Amino acid sequence: MALLELNNISKSFGVGSTRNEVLSDINLSVEEGEFVAIVGFSGSGKSTLINLINGLLFPDEGEVLLNGKKIVGPGPDRGVIFQNYSLLPWLSVYSNVKLAVDEVFSHLTRKEKEEHIRKYIDMVNLTPAIDKKPDELSGGMRQRVSVARALAMNPEILLMDEPLSALDALTRGSLQEEIIKIWSQDKKTAILITNDVDEGIIMADRIIPLTPGPRATLGPEFKVPFARPRDVTEMNRDYTYKRLRNNILEYLMDVGASRKQVSDQKYILPDIKPVMPGRIIFGKKRKEEAVKYF
Amino acid sequence: MKNKSIKTLKFLGLGFIEPLIRLISGEEPKKNTQLFIKKSLLPLSSIFLFVLIWHLGSAALYNSEAEVRIEKARSEQGEAAAIAMAECIASGDVSCQPNTLPSPTKVWGAFQALLDDHNTISQKKSDFKDKVAATNAQREAQGLDPITYTGRPSFVDQIGTSLKTVAAGCLLAMLIAVPIGIIIGLSESLRTSFNWLIQIFKPVSPVVWLLLVFMVVKTLITDPSLDKSFIISFISVGLCAMWATLVNTSMGVSTVDKDYINVARVLKLNVGQNIFKIILPASFPLIFTGLRITVSVAWMVLIAIELLAQSPGLGSFVWEEFQNGANDSNAKIIVAMFVIGAIGFMLDRIMLSVQNVMTFNKAAA
Amino acid sequence: MKIFKSTIVLILLTVIWSACSGTKAKNKETTVTSASSALLIEKPQLTFGFIKLTDMAPLAIAKELGYFEDEGLFVTIEAQSNWKNVLDRVIDGQLDGSHMLAGQPIAAGAGFGRQAELVTPFSMDLNGNGITVSNEVWSKMKPNVPLDAEGKTIHPIKADALLPVVTEFKNSGRPFKMGMVFPVSTHNYEIRYWLAAAGIHPGMYTAGNIQGQVDADVLLSVTPPPQMPATLEAGTIYGYCVGEPWNQQAVFKGIGVPVVTNYDIWKNNPEKVFVMTKKFVEENPNTAVAVTKALIRAAKWLDEPGNRPEAVGILSMPEYVGADSVVIANSMTGTFEFEKGDKRSMPDFNVFYRYNATFPFYSDGIWFLTQMRRWGQIPESKPAEWYHSTIKEIYRPDIWSSAADMLVKEGKIPKEDMPETDGYKSPTADFIDGTQYDGKDPIGYINSFKIGNKDEAL
Repeated sequence: MALLELNNISKSFGVGSTRNEVLSDINLSVEEGEFVAIVGFSGSGKSTLINLINGLLFPDEGEVLLNGKKIVGPGPDRGVIFQNYSLLPWLSVYSNVKLAVDEVFSHLTRKEKEEHIRKYIDMVNLTPAIDKKPDELSGGMRQRVSVARALAMNPEILLMDEPLSALDALTRGSLQEEIIKIWSQDKKTAILITNDVDEGIIMADRIIPLTPGPRATLGPEFKVPFARPRDVTEMNRDYTYKRLRNNILEYLMDVGASRKQVSDQKYILPDIKPVMPGRIIFGKKRKEEAVKYF
Repeated sequence: MKNKSIKTLKFLGLGFIEPLIRLISGEEPKKNTQLFIKKSLLPLSSIFLFVLIWHLGSAALYNSEAEVRIEKARSEQGEAAAIAMAECIASGDVSCQPNTLPSPTKVWGAFQALLDDHNTISQKKSDFKDKVAATNAQREAQGLDPITYTGRPSFVDQIGTSLKTVAAGCLLAMLIAVPIGIIIGLSESLRTSFNWLIQIFKPVSPVVWLLLVFMVVKTLITDPSLDKSFIISFISVGLCAMWATLVNTSMGVSTVDKDYINVARVLKLNVGQNIFKIILPASFPLIFTGLRITVSVAWMVLIAIELLAQSPGLGSFVWEEFQNGANDSNAKIIVAMFVIGAIGFMLDRIMLSVQNVMTFNKAAA
Repeated sequence: MKIFKSTIVLILLTVIWSACSGTKAKNKETTVTSASSALLIEKPQLTFGFIKLTDMAPLAIAKELGYFEDEGLFVTIEAQSNWKNVLDRVIDGQLDGSHMLAGQPIAAGAGFGRQAELVTPFSMDLNGNGITVSNEVWSKMKPNVPLDAEGKTIHPIKADALLPVVTEFKNSGRPFKMGMVFPVSTHNYEIRYWLAAAGIHPGMYTAGNIQGQVDADVLLSVTPPPQMPATLEAGTIYGYCVGEPWNQQAVFKGIGVPVVTNYDIWKNNPEKVFVMTKKFVEENPNTAVAVTKALIRAAKWLDEPGNRPEAVGILSMPEYVGADSVVIANSMTGTFEFEKGDKRSMPDFNVFYRYNATFPFYSDGIWFLTQMRRWGQIPESKPAEWYHSTIKEIYRPDIWSSAADMLVKEGKIPKEDMPETDGYKSPTADFIDGTQYDGKDPIGYINSFKIGNKDEAL
């Protein structure tokens, strides 16, 4: 049985004329220990897809199964690395990781926890910055904290939502290698969402293109035939690499072009109002931003 | 050393001294001279200008009132009385001094008189302590409270009392407003349901709060050994001042960055952890902005409330001096005004420094 | 950051705690033997209230000259904002005792306003009030006042001189408003007495109208004493009846002219009293006597020739009356200035000790009850016996006498300063209109007035 299964998923937002069908008819199954990359253009619904898996969103139709059980909400069994790091700015590197560890390993003693936290911070080479706050770190370092936090929870599956897209090319390259290195230590199941085909080929076992939205769906899968550990420079010279890359791109372009002709979807621009500092706007929050706990 | 002291000054809200320190240590003389002029000399010169206008204004008022008095004496009692009045005013005799806006020199004199008065009273206090030392030792042996000083509090003591009232009031405001703000910030329906109530209570005047509190406290507290006027005044100060914190907290909580909330959800934090580990720290910047407003409102309403509640402090000082109507009363009231303003300014600076320490740089999230 | 946070909370908590606990120390029963007497003081630390008026002098003197401490009392004296506040704080126990209007404990006992059981062991002074009118009213009134050979106005000025002014105001549709300090204050009854003696109706109190303005020619309203001059200056009222220094203040500031003193309205009338609750006196009988002793000594000192200038110096301290000493001296040193420059000798304007001023006479208290009935503050008629029994609950000459006894034994006052009396002064006609008052016949007195309620003799 596959570790993760998505069966006939569709998801839309809004109602009536503003209804926006983002995903439709998604089927995916991921085996244990597999590294799958889902590649798609911006706005195609990649983040929606990953949020369906991590449990922050629920599908309108179909079901998401983890170990054969339906997902009912987020949980530490799925470690998430967010695109914008999502570190808590008031906590140090250590405390950010600790927050996750405290939650998942509440049964451990204080000392065991501390060892655990330090191990993962060391794994992402941040031990020298362990007491720094996020605003004292570079983007790459912040994302490494995020990686450490996700891995420290010892999740069954690692979900990466465009983790490197906000970084510059150099940092990106080195972080790709680093993540792969860490991943290869215990071969966790991993799903990588990215808009960079090369990144997918370098990191994943399998690449599945997501067609551009609306009504995005998954295309045919492309196996990555390179053995691990992979050498990026060598791969670049490899003819198979170039062909694979071209095939995926071509597929995405073709689908994109045909989509454009049929799409009359109007894109709704976000309604952004400047907020004056110190001014109090009470009870006027946009609904989707409202936080509900009660 | 230099950088450290600059950092300390900045923390204390005295950042405007920075260019002077850099200038003294010979760092970028031109730039720092300009900065010094901009940050220190300009505010100082505006104060100087203000004092000058005040001086001219009070002199004009003094002359016109003196004129009126002399005229009145002339029309009612004849020329001789008018001359006598003019001489009397010129001689500085208190019995015929025009009673008007005091000049800066008079106010400065009153300030010094109040400080002298403080020293005298401190002396009296220690004398009193020596005098009752034997009695108090005896009372202590009997397990009774010692006899405390029975004299009038000095101006400085009254500043202390007022600060105590404000501190107690703000603490109360914080204890009420922050939890309620969090609760209603978390739920939109609660926020909507309380919104009207908050809008109705927010503009209620300090005087009315005082009366409301008075009605309740009078019934609830029957033990005469508790200082009711202090309780009434600090509760009223708290209730007047808490609204800014309440609104800002609920606003801060309801606008917590979605990313942080997602982190909380992925980590499956429970409600308590969620509030204390995520929502509260994330809303700190706004809560603190609210608390800053609360402190300044508290200090502002304090005077009116102390005045009405008969609670000792700067408010009752102002009121008593107004009632005294003595020759130097007006000057003392103005001293109190400046002291109140300066302390308000300092409190704000302190809150700002605390805020800078407690909150994070949001841009770096 | 955490440590910092908790430090702040800690500091704030400490502040509150100390603020609260500092006040707790004030009151607790104890036993301290005073230095000079054998009295066992139950409660040595006391707080007394006062309103900024010169007739609070016995309190200030007893404290400043150490008479309280001689009795083993440690007294804090606190200025209060208005008479209602004074009454409330004494009843609620925030003040152990206070300088009060003679009418206040009586009204509290008779059931007008807030009811409470208050007692008066010490009468603070006689006379000391005046009626001041604004410059405008005075200029209209002055032509009606008879002049003597030197062209000076003849005192006492009766309200007859004011009558045409009131009529003129009435005809032009302007309500004639005057201020007094409290509904049950001596001032209210004095200004009413003065107006009514000239046929000007000051208005009745009824069960439904406690403003006291029913049928009024002159509308009387309450203004706290220290605000009187400012209110007059603002034109809200055209005149007021108040204690010193607020009449002299009007002369000094040139905003009004005092026309009559209450010495002329009722010679040697009781003005302020010292009030404690019945509960306090029952629980701390020795303390009550000790307080009375200190106050009697202070009053005696105040009436000794040559002490007044020093008293003026003490009263002008900001914690007491606080007005300029020249202003206070004007009324405390035997003179009273009417019009600017018209300073007259008034040796009995401020009496603290002479004429048995400190003794709480039942007849003085009953006079207030008769006036409350006359103006309708007591809405239904009462039998004569009620007047006597009510006042005996409030006025406590027994406490005064035991205090005075001890002072005589200690040699602090001569024996002859203790009056031989049953508590009633002999009948007197020393009023501005010459009406005879006998404290033993309150009903007959009420019925002798033209304006006001009348009672059946029961």
